[in-house]
Amino acid sequence: MDTTVPQRFVVPIGPQHPALKEPGHFEFTVDGEQVTGASVRLGYAHRGIEKATEGRNWVQNLYLLERICGICSHVHATAYCLGVEKLAGVTPPPRAQAIRVLVAELERIHSHLLWLGVAAHEAGFDTLFMYSWRDRETVMDILEALTGNRVNYSANLLGGVKFDLTSELTDKIYKGLELLEERTYQYVDVVTSDATLLQRTRGVGVTTREQAEQLGLVGPTARASGVERDIRVEAPYAAYPDFPVKVVTATAGDLEARFVVRLQELFEAYRLIRAVLEKLPPGELQARMPRKIKPAETVSRVEAPRGELFYFIKSNGTDQPERIKVRTPTLCNLASVCVLAVGSQLADVPMILAGVDPCFSCNDRMVTVYSGDTDHTQWTWKQLRQYGIDYYRR
Amino acid sequence: MDTQEALKSAEALLTGYASTRSEENRLDGTLAPENLCAVVSNLVAARWGYLMAITGLDQVTLGQLEILYHFGAGAAILTLRIPLPRIPIPSVDSICPIIPYANVYERELGEMFGVEFRNSPNTDRLFLPDDWRSAVYPLRKDAVLNEE
Amino acid sequence: MTWQHVVDDIRTWARVNSPWVVHFNTGSCNGCDIEILAILTPRYDAERFGVKLEGSPRHADVLICTGPVTRQARDRLLRVYEQMPEPKFVIAVGSCAISGGVFQGCYNVIGHIDEVIPVDVYIPGCPPRPEAILDGVVKLLGHLKNPVLEETIQEAG
Ligand code: SF4
Repeated sequence: MDTTVPQRFVVPIGPQHPALKEPGHFEFTVDGEQVTGASVRLGYAHRGIEKATEGRNWVQNLYLLERICGICSHVHATAYCLGVEKLAGVTPPPRAQAIRVLVAELERIHSHLLWLGVAAHEAGFDTLFMYSWRDRETVMDILEALTGNRVNYSANLLGGVKFDLTSELTDKIYKGLELLEERTYQYVDVVTSDATLLQRTRGVGVTTREQAEQLGLVGPTARASGVERDIRVEAPYAAYPDFPVKVVTATAGDLEARFVVRLQELFEAYRLIRAVLEKLPPGELQARMPRKIKPAETVSRVEAPRGELFYFIKSNGTDQPERIKVRTPTLCNLASVCVLAVGSQLADVPMILAGVDPCFSCNDRMVTVYSGDTDHTQWTWKQLRQYGIDYYRR
Repeated sequence: MDTQEALKSAEALLTGYASTRSEENRLDGTLAPENLCAVVSNLVAARWGYLMAITGLDQVTLGQLEILYHFGAGAAILTLRIPLPRIPIPSVDSICPIIPYANVYERELGEMFGVEFRNSPNTDRLFLPDDWRSAVYPLRKDAVLNEE
Repeated sequence: MTWQHVVDDIRTWARVNSPWVVHFNTGSCNGCDIEILAILTPRYDAERFGVKLEGSPRHADVLICTGPVTRQARDRLLRVYEQMPEPKFVIAVGSCAISGGVFQGCYNVIGHIDEVIPVDVYIPGCPPRPEAILDGVVKLLGHLKNPVLEETIQEAG
C-alpha cells in the first residue's frame, strides 16, 4: 500500500437512525479524527406531497399538509391557512387568530423540549433526555385537552380554528405553565453548568454571524449566532401583531448557545401564552370561506419551531390549488451541517447535526455515504454516537 | 428598514427591468435568464435580504416554465421571475457562485422540473430515489407518474 | 419433554421478558415516531415490559415500522428486515403503515408496510396514542407466550 497517501475513510451514516426518529443519510470523509468532507442525500421520506396537493381540494389539502411533519404540524397548517385566506380575501376573526398563536406557542414548547431531549441523548446524557421528555408530557396533556389529539392537532380550519377555550382549560394551562417554567430554570442551569455536557457543547460547531448569514440559516440556529431573524417579529402574522415577541439571540454561535437560545425561547413562549390567555378577544371562531378561489398567488411565511417556514400558493380559479411550494427550515439548516462538519472532530458530528434540530420528514428527507474506491468503513448512527461519547470519556 | 422602504430600494436595484407590485409587501421583477446573475449579484452586494426559496411553476398553456427566486428582507418579498421555454430542456445559469447555499434549492428544482443549471457545483439527486426513471420530472403538470 | 423443548421454552421465556425492538421510519411524518419515542420515556415506560430500543437490526426481535413505504426506503426496509435474526416480528404503527393513510397515491409512495414485509401487529391511529402502541406490544408478547390461545381467537374471529 502506498503509505504516502494518507488513508481516508468514508463514514456513511444512516439512513436508519436508531435514536433519532427519522431517516437521513450523510457521508463523511475523514482523515484520522478530522472530517475532511461531507455530503448529504435526502429523500428517504420523500413522499411527493407537493404534487399530491395539486390533485386535492383546498380543504383536503389542509389535512395533507398538516401531515408533512408530525412535530410541527400546526405551523404547516397555519402557513397554509393564512396563505389561502389571503388569496380568498377572507379575514379570520381575532379570536381564531389568537388561538392559532396559542397553539403555535404550545407547539414550540413541545418541539423545543423534544429537541432538548434528543440533543442530550446524542451527547450521551440520557438523564436529561428522560427528564425533558417527562416534562414534555405536561404540554402534550394541555394540547390534548385543548384539541383532542397529542400530535397532528388539526386546530386550524380555513377561515378560523376548530376549538375554543373554556375556563377549565385556561386553569389547566396556567398550572402546566407554572410547572414547566420552574423546570426550565433548572434546564438552563444544567446546560450552562454541567461540566460533562459543556465539554460537548461549548466551542463546538461554532457558526459566526457572517457564516450564518452566508449559509442562509434560519430559526434558533441562526439566532444563536446573533442573526435576528424571526418572522414573528419581522412580518407578524395571525395575532402576533397584538402579542409582540421578543427575539432571543446569543452571540457565541456554538452548541451551548443553541441550547440556551432554545431554552430562553421557552420562557418567551410561556409569557406569550399567558398574554394570550389574559387578553383573548371574544367573538366568532370561523369566517366563511368560498369553495373556489380566483386565480392569484401569494407567499405565506411563519416561524416554525425550527425556523422560517415558507409557503408559495397559487390558485387558478377552481377548488384545487395550481401549485403549492413548501420550503421547510430544515432544508436551509441542513446544508450548513456539511459546511460545519468539515474540519471538526468526527466525535462532534452527531452533536453538530443534532444542533440544527433536523427534521427530515419536514424536509422529506435523509443522508447517504458514497464509498469511493478507497477503503471505507460503514458506521451506523449509533456507532458514531457511541464513538462520540467514548471519545469524550477518555 | 421598513417594508415600503425595502421595496423601494429593491425597485431601485431593478431599474431597467419590468417590475410590478403584486401584493402590498411584494415586488415582482421579470428578467431574461441572462440577466439573472447580474441582478442577484447586485442584490447581494447591496445586502438586500436573503434568498428564501426557489419555486418552479409549470405553465403548460403558455408553453413556459417559470422559475421564481424569492428574496426576503423583513416583511418585504422580492420575486425574480425567469420565464423559460418548456422544451427542450430549460436552462439558466446557476447562482451558486454568488449564493452558495442556493445549491440545494437548485438541485431540488432540477430534479422536480427538469431545469438545467449551468455551472452548478453539484447536480446530484437530492430527493428522488436512485432508481427514478430519467427524464420524468414529477412536478411538471404533464408528468406520467403511474407506474409500468 | 425433549431437550429441544426445554431449550425452546427458555428461549421463549427470554424473548417474552425482554424483546428488543428496532425502529424504522419508512417515510412517515414523524408523528408516529415521536409517540414511539414517548413510550420509552418515564410517563409510559415501556421498559416495564423489558422492551429495549436497540440500534442494530441484528440484535433485535421486533421491528417497529412507521409510515407509508417510499420508493427510496423500500430497499432499506427489506434490508433491515433481512438482517434481523429469526424469529422476527413486525409491528406496523399508524394509519400510514397500515394503508398509506393520507399519502395514498403520492408518486413516491409504494404502499403500506405489508406489501413489502409480513406484519404481525397493526396499530391504527394517526398517530396512535402511546397507550395503544404499548397495548400492541403487549398483545404481541402475549401471543408469543401463548400462541394457541391467539390462534383460537383468530379462528373465532
Ligand atoms: S399515521 Fe399519521 S402520524 Fe403516523 S406517520 Fe402517518 S400521518 Fe404521520
